[in-house]
Amino acid sequence: MIEVMFGSLAGLLTNGHTMGLMLLAVMIGLVVGATPGIGGRLSIALAIPFIYGMDMTQGAVFLLTMHAVNGTSGQISSIMFGVPGDGDDAATTVDGYPMAKKGEAGRALGASITASGVGGIIGAVVFAVMIPVLEPVVLAFSPAEFFLLAVLGITFIAFLAGKGQIFKGIIVGLFGMMLSTVGMDPQTGTARFSGDYLFLWDGISTVTAVLAVFAIPEMIALGARGGSIAMMSSQNVTVSYRQLFQGVLEVPRHWWLVIRTSIIGACIGMIPGLGGSAAAWLCYGHAVQTSKTPERFGHGAVEGVIAPETASNAKEGGSLLPTLFFGIPGSSGMAVMMGAFLILGIQPGPAMMTSNLPLVWTLIWALVVGNLIAVTFLLFITRWVALLTFVNVSMLVPFILTLVMVGVYSSEGQWENLIVLLAIAAIGWGLQRYDWPRAPFVIGLVLGKIAEESLHKALGLWGMSFFWRPLSLVLIALICATIAYAVYANVKGKTVMPAGAGSGAGS
Amino acid sequence: MTKPLALPLIGAALAALTAPAFAQDGAAFYKGKTVTYIVATAPGGGYDTYGRLVSEFMQKYLPGSTIVVRNMPGAGHLVGTNAIYASKPDGLTIGSFNTGLIYNQLINAEGVRFDLSKMSWIGKAATDARVIVVASQSPVKTWAEFVGLKEPINFATAGLGSASYVETVMLTNVMKLPVRVQTGYNGTDDQLAMRRGEIVGSIASRSSYDQFIKNGFGRYIAQVGGQEKDIPQLSSLVTDAKAKELIALIESTGEIARLTAGPAGIPASQLNALRAAYKQAMDDKELQARAEKLERPVEPLIGDDIAKMINAALKQSPETVTLLKESLQKPKS
Repeated sequence: MIEVMFGSLAGLLTNGHTMGLMLLAVMIGLVVGATPGIGGRLSIALAIPFIYGMDMTQGAVFLLTMHAVNGTSGQISSIMFGVPGDGDDAATTVDGYPMAKKGEAGRALGASITASGVGGIIGAVVFAVMIPVLEPVVLAFSPAEFFLLAVLGITFIAFLAGKGQIFKGIIVGLFGMMLSTVGMDPQTGTARFSGDYLFLWDGISTVTAVLAVFAIPEMIALGARGGSIAMMSSQNVTVSYRQLFQGVLEVPRHWWLVIRTSIIGACIGMIPGLGGSAAAWLCYGHAVQTSKTPERFGHGAVEGVIAPETASNAKEGGSLLPTLFFGIPGSSGMAVMMGAFLILGIQPGPAMMTSNLPLVWTLIWALVVGNLIAVTFLLFITRWVALLTFVNVSMLVPFILTLVMVGVYSSEGQWENLIVLLAIAAIGWGLQRYDWPRAPFVIGLVLGKIAEESLHKALGLWGMSFFWRPLSLVLIALICATIAYAVYANVKGKTVMPAGAGSGAGS
Repeated sequence: MTKPLALPLIGAALAALTAPAFAQDGAAFYKGKTVTYIVATAPGGGYDTYGRLVSEFMQKYLPGSTIVVRNMPGAGHLVGTNAIYASKPDGLTIGSFNTGLIYNQLINAEGVRFDLSKMSWIGKAATDARVIVVASQSPVKTWAEFVGLKEPINFATAGLGSASYVETVMLTNVMKLPVRVQTGYNGTDDQLAMRRGEIVGSIASRSSYDQFIKNGFGRYIAQVGGQEKDIPQLSSLVTDAKAKELIALIESTGEIARLTAGPAGIPASQLNALRAAYKQAMDDKELQARAEKLERPVEPLIGDDIAKMINAALKQSPETVTLLKESLQKPKS
């Protein structure tokens, strides 16, 4: 086992051709990831014609690296401009963008890039450790557990809203859940709140909603305010390597959080059907919930950047597991990947574990090495990229708005989404202007859909008795504990109210 | 007396000349033009794979043209199909969608803004036989054992109104199968659910299950359509006339899988050029080799043969249409 493990690493590192392809894949993956609206799925689909000539290992390493680093660069626009590339990046925006506004873009980027790299690596380790127990763990999660996990995530809203804003948070969260019911009801086949518009049958697009709630209001506020994103002139704050390095050091400083969120992320990635946004938001919620000073979140807490980024990269390792060993892809991105594996002559299935273990290890190492290359490269260029937050917004806003609209259109190729963008942006702007929390909206939208679909399935399969499944009981206990803790913290917070105003300038 | 004889002669000569010239003219038309190939699903998956393969090779045989694949997912292929149907019939917009839309048109379902009988059919790339699968944990080994079950077992389908739902419910109702239908299993959810055990079986397309069976996770007990001889055909296992009619309908939709079509009224010269390019693409050894690597079968059919089959499938007896409608009625909770 050990021999195979390190033999594969040596094989990967010493093969110049493979490493060259990997470098190329990292670059492509980063560029695609930085462009809002173009998902990793499409980039793999487009890359497939190029892998016909490659051998099995090289082709697989190429595609996997491209896919794995995709999430690494999306954080740049989330942090610097408040423009998330998709649902999981939105969690990074919540604290990353306030940091940029405080002139700490360098620190935020240093922390988030390192966090995603470390997350990717820990994810690969979890992947390796889980191989022997994969089957029972993955198969333990049925629609009943999906429902309860989604509910658990929704209860985190209580912590995300911030002190004294719990009711605002619940209202916004419920609004998000309400919007998640738009579309075809899977149980009755009725189109809900869709009128004659077929594009609404599949529900509100997450990318559109996230950009509407986060990106557009920020751009309006920026345009109205003028100046630059960082609310101080560049003479006072220079984005130096030192600031960046400080950010990098935040990751070892919060090592315990990093390990927990990486493992949670990897496990969620492993369970097909929950999706990447759920991983990022559950981990963000977890970070807030376990923090001693939860009031700092939403105003530029570095943990709020670290947690979702570790999770969203760690899940890539996890989502490879069911694809490789069951031959059942865990996500739509992995479905495309599986098609590519077949072209390369890789037969995903239980036999992989015995017949093709060296390849499995090469792929694990590719995840690790690919993440390291991506992180190093991004850290190197970040210094210049972060300078953009000091550029006058009159030059920045039109450019970013265009990028957002192109992203919304190209994510599903439907112009109608631009109208949805406008409508939700109006609400998002209201929320931003009157300082209502916006994170609960995305949680409600993303998890509401999972909760509804899985509840229907669980009830259809087991009736009410699904609550008595053993794992269900554990999750129910967790949900009760979360709610009880939220109530306790809120009541206690009221009496000791203005204690924790330590974070300084929040907006 | 030469005149009256000459005219038909010249006519015949002209006709003989124009028949191949038609396709030639059409091919010339595509020089420097961009064709949009609409795939009615998101990237990834069978429709996208076939769409990209077909368009790449059609481009090869329409010299000077560029074929761009555009994914238009939504509403179970309705968005993309409506877009193809509504596009200008100039031969510059074609695309691919699920043949299961025949059911939607038969019952005049919500959201149908096309008429399949009028579309310009270019070709189809495969036959997608349906199979009845049960998980390997289940004691059921044969069709007879399945029908003899005392307690109903859970079968997974995609959302209500999807082709898999319609087919499962219709067969269950007509043949009184011991099946409880569980909806909402999209993509490969059903396979994972069968591994977990909450779902015992499924009526699905064979190509999506071959891998699952090869891995030993389940077994086939009957098949509808297709060339394979390893599993008994469902039609040979039933005697009821109504059931046979239904099976024939499902078989015909499976027959015309992975199709390529354009809107109604594409001029003959362009349509012929598209069909010729499609045929050449399907005969291309490289396309066949790639499809084989992807484990995607290629069993092509071109042009009018498809139109005939579609029209036959759209001519169902009123009883079958009622049956379809009933199966789509909201289940009483």
